[in-house]
Amino acid sequence: MSAETVQTVIDNLGALLLFTMILIVAAGQIYRAIYAVAAQSFLIAVAGGVLATATGNVDLWVIAGITLTVKAIVLPWVLHWVVRRMNVRREIEPVIPDAATLALAVVVVVLSFHLSASLGPVRQAITGNALPVGISLTLSGVLVMATRKTALTQMVGLFASENGIFFTAMAVTQGMPLIIEIGVILDVILAALVMAIMVLRVRSTVDADIADLEELRG
Amino acid sequence: MSDLDAASGLKLIAVCYAAGILSSLLARWSGRLALRVGHLFALAGAVAGLGVSLGVLLGGPGFTLNQPLPALFPFARLSLSVDGLSAYFLLVISVVAIAAAIYGPAYLAAHAPDASAARQAAQVVALNVFLGCMVFVCAAGDAMTFLLCWEGMTLSSYVLVVSDDRDGENARAGLLYMVMAHGGTALLLVAFLALTERAGGFDFAALRAVAANLDGTTRTVLFFVALGGFATKAGVIPLHVWLPRAHPAAPSHVSALMSGVMLKVAIYGMLRFGFDLLAPATGALPSSWGWTVLILGTTSAVLGVLYALQLHDLPRLLAFHSVENIGIILIGVGLAMILWRTEGAGGVLATVALTAALLHTVNHAAFKGLLFLGAGSVLSRTHVRNIEELGGLARRMPWTAGLFLLGAVAISALPPLNGFVSEWLTFQVLLGGAMRFHGPAGLGIVFSAAMLALTGGLAAACFAKAFGVTFLGRPRTPHAEHATEAPTSMIVGMVCLAVVCVGLGVAPGYAMRLLDAPTAGLLHGPGASAVVTARGPLVLSASMMPEGTSATAISMTVMAALLVALAALAWVLRREDRHAERRAAPTWTCGMTPTPRFDYTATAFAKPLRLVFAALYRPRREVVREMTAPYAVRRIRYAGEIVDLSETQIYHRVERGISELSRAIRDRSTGRIYGYIGFLFGALVVTLLLFGVGPG
Repeated sequence: MSAETVQTVIDNLGALLLFTMILIVAAGQIYRAIYAVAAQSFLIAVAGGVLATATGNVDLWVIAGITLTVKAIVLPWVLHWVVRRMNVRREIEPVIPDAATLALAVVVVVLSFHLSASLGPVRQAITGNALPVGISLTLSGVLVMATRKTALTQMVGLFASENGIFFTAMAVTQGMPLIIEIGVILDVILAALVMAIMVLRVRSTVDADIADLEELRG
Repeated sequence: MSDLDAASGLKLIAVCYAAGILSSLLARWSGRLALRVGHLFALAGAVAGLGVSLGVLLGGPGFTLNQPLPALFPFARLSLSVDGLSAYFLLVISVVAIAAAIYGPAYLAAHAPDASAARQAAQVVALNVFLGCMVFVCAAGDAMTFLLCWEGMTLSSYVLVVSDDRDGENARAGLLYMVMAHGGTALLLVAFLALTERAGGFDFAALRAVAANLDGTTRTVLFFVALGGFATKAGVIPLHVWLPRAHPAAPSHVSALMSGVMLKVAIYGMLRFGFDLLAPATGALPSSWGWTVLILGTTSAVLGVLYALQLHDLPRLLAFHSVENIGIILIGVGLAMILWRTEGAGGVLATVALTAALLHTVNHAAFKGLLFLGAGSVLSRTHVRNIEELGGLARRMPWTAGLFLLGAVAISALPPLNGFVSEWLTFQVLLGGAMRFHGPAGLGIVFSAAMLALTGGLAAACFAKAFGVTFLGRPRTPHAEHATEAPTSMIVGMVCLAVVCVGLGVAPGYAMRLLDAPTAGLLHGPGASAVVTARGPLVLSASMMPEGTSATAISMTVMAALLVALAALAWVLRREDRHAERRAAPTWTCGMTPTPRFDYTATAFAKPLRLVFAALYRPRREVVREMTAPYAVRRIRYAGEIVDLSETQIYHRVERGISELSRAIRDRSTGRIYGYIGFLFGALVVTLLLFGVGPG
């Protein structure tokens, strides 16, 4: 593949990633958010694969593989399982209206593109517009966490944010060292497991949502 | 002593303490056995330490022993290095440790007879760790060994502090000790790491080399950071609050070690930092160093004894006297820092000042150790700490009373005992130093001398109170009435220290030889015996004083002989009296039956001084009278207390500030996770906006 082709592919993948992010922000049902974040992780894995072929970096293949299995399949499945166990359809509970969140997300994306314009030297020919996309994914992920009350949706936001960091790393340095990537992935798995256990345990023992823990403050 | 002997001596010390730890761990099925064996090995280690230190001290000027240690860390080479200063402090540790190890088993068995074997074994293990760590702090040849042993010393003494009883008081004292000690260690870490990072290694030699090229500000900042760390450990006012709580909480022979020796390890650190590691290659030390130490020392000396005067808990009273004596030592250290490498006779005076400080170090270790052991004997026999509930013990515990009196005379700086010698030397150097400065500086030193004189007087008053109320009069409670003399091994432990007190008091000139190596080695000038002993070792004199001042001289030996002669004369004269006819008659007590309560109490004894220093003590008293009819008082209840100003003015304010701040934070926190994430998000965006848009 030539450099231009790779750049076009990465740019297009970036556009798709932003689209999945909008789906996550706007999702009215927890299932949709989970499917969207799975799709996003899949796209990240594809981007990793494309970069691996373009640069011949074997580590990127490994990372792409791990991303595909863990983030696109296992973690969404765990989230899905928890939602099924809890037997609730609507688990979003936004703090501010969805429309306002979407408007904020737009601001975030614009801000990211504006910011990355000043980071010219960092941008590389091969990855094109990946940097602003990565930043906006990260920030939007945090935005999702900040505007949702329930633990599950906050988890989705964390995954999205994680994806953003991943994509930024690919854009800037063409992937972090393998050991760090694996460490980060393990962290995310751990966070998901802790969240799942907490949510289920709290619900099964005291019949309260994890968001109700705020009542405990002194 | 050859290099090889000394090196094997160091190994022997380590082996003894390690054997003490292991054997008491193995013997934990029998508390008695663990106590005996553990203390025996501690004694062996202390004797070995005495041997090594005497070997190095008498081994000639500049004799330094270096001993590499196995490489435990890839980044630091560990080593031991014993020069004159280290050996001197090793001597101080060993002397008190010998007495404590002889005293310990009987004390622990008598004080807490029903303690579990595991607890006794733990105490002995901690004691061995404590002694070993103190020895190797002083013998450390690199920052890593120093810090590791320093921390070991703190942790093991913490274990000993909380091990004695299981009541909450000890646990709280231990916690306060732990927090303060770790604050101090943190400061030391900063000081050491700042040096090691520049030097690229941990050896003291490397640190010395890099410190020689430091600029003035960095050097001074590093010194003050280290001074803060050491002052916390030494219990310098206002960093002393842990000391009067933690020291009495430990078993008494450990209190003796903590007060007599552990505080001195901090003094060792100060000297090592001030005169050796951080000292500039040439020229005098920055004047701020010495003056700060002098002011801290003077404050601690006066305030320490003033607070001790109003306390009636025997171990706590002794602990406050440690604050006082650390102050006296620091006066000497501060003067040595001020005068070191100044032109003319200043250098000589600096040597005298350091000699006074070091001599007071060993003297205080001896008499404070003796006093704590004496207090421990009283405690183990009566289980009472408050001296108001004692009285009349002199008849029941004659040996303990006599030895305690000896320690009290020594700490009150009365001739012919050792406390007098070092305080007299401190006076000489204060007066000599004052003549070298004009204006406010000279006045400040004279003021310090006046404060030192006040301290001596107040200490005498305090021990008149402590001894009189504890041992004289009639017993006020059944505890005191049924007390019996302590077992022989405890008496022997006290006698060891008493011998040191008398020896250093009567023949201090001979002790000066031991001080030659540390003073000459540290100050690169004349040794102690060259400047302090005139006309042979029998007459002490701060010789080589500045022109125009007549150096005073004093012979402790002659003074002791005179005292003995006078006592004999008085005894002979009073013999005539004793043949006179005696008539026994009841004391007239206004028609009431006399009870032990009629005796002078400690509170009453200290009352005049409480009134004089009311501004400092802020005394609070509460008198409740129960009346049966007008004018007929059935019972009076009196409660009084004084405050520690640094505690109320500094610590309580900080405490209030912290709790107010945390309450404010708690009131403002919502507890909503998404809220916190929102803050994070906002902060992130703002930061990106502020700093992200760079010069693109």
